[in-house]
Amino acid sequence: MRVVIAEDLALLRDGLMRLLRDNGFDVVDAVGDGDALVHAVAREHPDIAIVDIRLPPTFRDEGLRAALELRARAPETAVLVVSQYVEHSYATELLADGRGGVGYLLKDRIMNVDDFVDAVRRVGSGGTAIDPDVVAQLFSRRRSEPVDRLTVREREVLALMAEGRSNAAIAERLVLTVGAVEKHVANILAKLRLAPSQSDHRRVLAVLAYLQGE
Amino acid sequence: MSVPRLLAPFARAESYRTLVHLATAVPLGTAGLVVLVTGWSTTVSLAFTPLVVVVPLAFRAAVGVVAQAEAALARGLLGAEARPPIVPAGRGLWDRARKAVTDGAFWRQQAYLALRWLIGFPLAVGELSLIGGSLGALALPVYYPWSDLQIASDWHVDTLPRALAFVPAGALGLLAAAHVLRPLRRLWRSLAESLLSSDAVAMDVSPEVASHRRRRALAVHAGAFGGLAFLFIVIWALTSRGYFWPAWPVVALALPLAIHGWAVLLEERPAVSRTLRATPTLAVHEGVSAALFLFFVAVWALGSRGYFWPVWPLLGLAIPLGIHAVVVFARRSESGELTRRIRTLEQTRAGAVDVQDEELRRIERDLHDGAQARLVALGMSIGLAEQKLRTDPHGAQELLAEARKGAHEALEELRDLARGIHPPVLTDRGLGAAIATLADRSVLPVTVDVELTERPPAVVETAAYFVVAEALANAAKHSLATSVTVRIRRSAGTLGVEVADDGRGGADAGGHGLTGLRQRVEALDGTLSISSPEGGPTTLMAELPCAS
Repeated sequence: MRVVIAEDLALLRDGLMRLLRDNGFDVVDAVGDGDALVHAVAREHPDIAIVDIRLPPTFRDEGLRAALELRARAPETAVLVVSQYVEHSYATELLADGRGGVGYLLKDRIMNVDDFVDAVRRVGSGGTAIDPDVVAQLFSRRRSEPVDRLTVREREVLALMAEGRSNAAIAERLVLTVGAVEKHVANILAKLRLAPSQSDHRRVLAVLAYLQGE
Repeated sequence: MSVPRLLAPFARAESYRTLVHLATAVPLGTAGLVVLVTGWSTTVSLAFTPLVVVVPLAFRAAVGVVAQAEAALARGLLGAEARPPIVPAGRGLWDRARKAVTDGAFWRQQAYLALRWLIGFPLAVGELSLIGGSLGALALPVYYPWSDLQIASDWHVDTLPRALAFVPAGALGLLAAAHVLRPLRRLWRSLAESLLSSDAVAMDVSPEVASHRRRRALAVHAGAFGGLAFLFIVIWALTSRGYFWPAWPVVALALPLAIHGWAVLLEERPAVSRTLRATPTLAVHEGVSAALFLFFVAVWALGSRGYFWPVWPLLGLAIPLGIHAVVVFARRSESGELTRRIRTLEQTRAGAVDVQDEELRRIERDLHDGAQARLVALGMSIGLAEQKLRTDPHGAQELLAEARKGAHEALEELRDLARGIHPPVLTDRGLGAAIATLADRSVLPVTVDVELTERPPAVVETAAYFVVAEALANAAKHSLATSVTVRIRRSAGTLGVEVADDGRGGADAGGHGLTGLRQRVEALDGTLSISSPEGGPTTLMAELPCAS
């Protein structure tokens, strides 16, 4: 999988490059700001761009803006935004176009290398990776009766669904059988009156939209 | 005296210049007199109309023009160092009039113009007559046959010897005329230098000397007044002793003396104006108005005593005085407002500095107890793992997992700390998004109602954010509320922040958190108020000025 990295801090950029190369990724370019990222993507056509949200010159949400620009200009490249902090509204902005191949994670998640590498692979192949913190924010936001009616286990499954994980991954994480997970998912969708959907990404969008109260 | 010394004045060019200067007293002295008479009569006759503010300006300008001409003459003809100062500028009509009148140069120039006529005119006439007469006498032997000069009824200058007899007198007269020129030159030069130059010298004197001079001048004035009054009364006593006419000049002379005395009193005793609760200028105005009124009353009393006409000048004096007083008091209340404002700013600035200082100490403490400690623990875990790597790979793996968890916790803590200093989403997405995030993080259900068409200035956003953050934290901790409403509105240059909960009330407005919040808000010139009756509900309101 071909990767472009946009991270202005050299320490993190080099660490990320090593980590990805060690795990079999082909890091074709590593740049320091949003404009360079857009150029690198246009030149290299990578499978995925990993972008820090804070980049020069403003050190505000440059990376997010660059990511949104990539979503519009290079739809074949997936975008994974990483940040020192997460805001569910940023996730909403990233997911606004309804397409897959998008992720939004805390930088802390990189430390859990296997999980992070899995997220990069998932996003790079058209899936979704939403940070558990974002999902937690959405859960605390949506204190509606249907969510309250979910069982603890169902809520765990719902959270992992919102993060963008497949049934198999959820089963592995919760030490359940895939069949049990499928049953939980069906119950959750019924309780929340959501239509079952074929792709994992569609499911994420539906769940997130539901949690956002839209 | 040797012959050359006797004749020396004739050889000196300065003699002729002095003569010309003397002669100019006739036209210029008259011009000066016209200016003075016109100026004063206009000033007095308009004294109780508002025009009295404008007249001194015109008067001052006219005196200035003549004084400049006089100074130029004195410089050119007498070599005097006379440079009248520029008329001081002022702001506004009233200020200019005040400065014109209180400018000492104005009065000295008037004195010079008056002297130029009073002394200069007679001197010019006398000197020119003496010269003319002497020349006529010297030339008499030439033209006596035609002149038919008659000295006495039977003594005509009709022979040469008789005509020649006049020559010595002519020569003496001419010598005298020539020799008085030098003292006259000195006299006018010193007058011009002392009365027409700028008062830079006078400004250098110490306050004690100035005060002494003022008192002495007043004493001289009073003495002159007493002497004149005495003289009039003596004349009256020695003559008719009929109608007591000296009352009139005494009253007329008493008016300037009274004004002079009042001005000196105000200068010497600043407490007097304070007692009157007036500015020095207003106090002068009051005194002059009172003196003028008393003067008219005296005139009325000395005169017909019929219809009490001084009521009209009283009215005329009272109106400008009233306007002046209103202006002064309006200005005073304005300056009182400013004084209060400065005091408030001093307090709020001190409060802001306190808040900042406390914040920095809190951040230092948090870093020390939190992230730093966690990083030390992290380093130790990694060190141990390194040791165990060969002997106990399983233990090493556990330690490394622990280290990763520690790193994650350190990051969480740093993130919270950073958010407490300044939440990134506030910078990136503005107040609405930041408040929504706060609401999401709150354990209480929060209704957010933010209506902003444009973003307020960053400092205002930050203050509003922390007001809401603190209020939500308090509501969660103390209020036992079931819901909170945050309302933010912008109107007419202020950002209004309102946080209301349905809890049990009784919040401590002097508590630590609220005091810090108040200082933060006041540093921006805002106000913070809290309503929290026992039993609830609690409403916190902040008004933050934000110019649009």
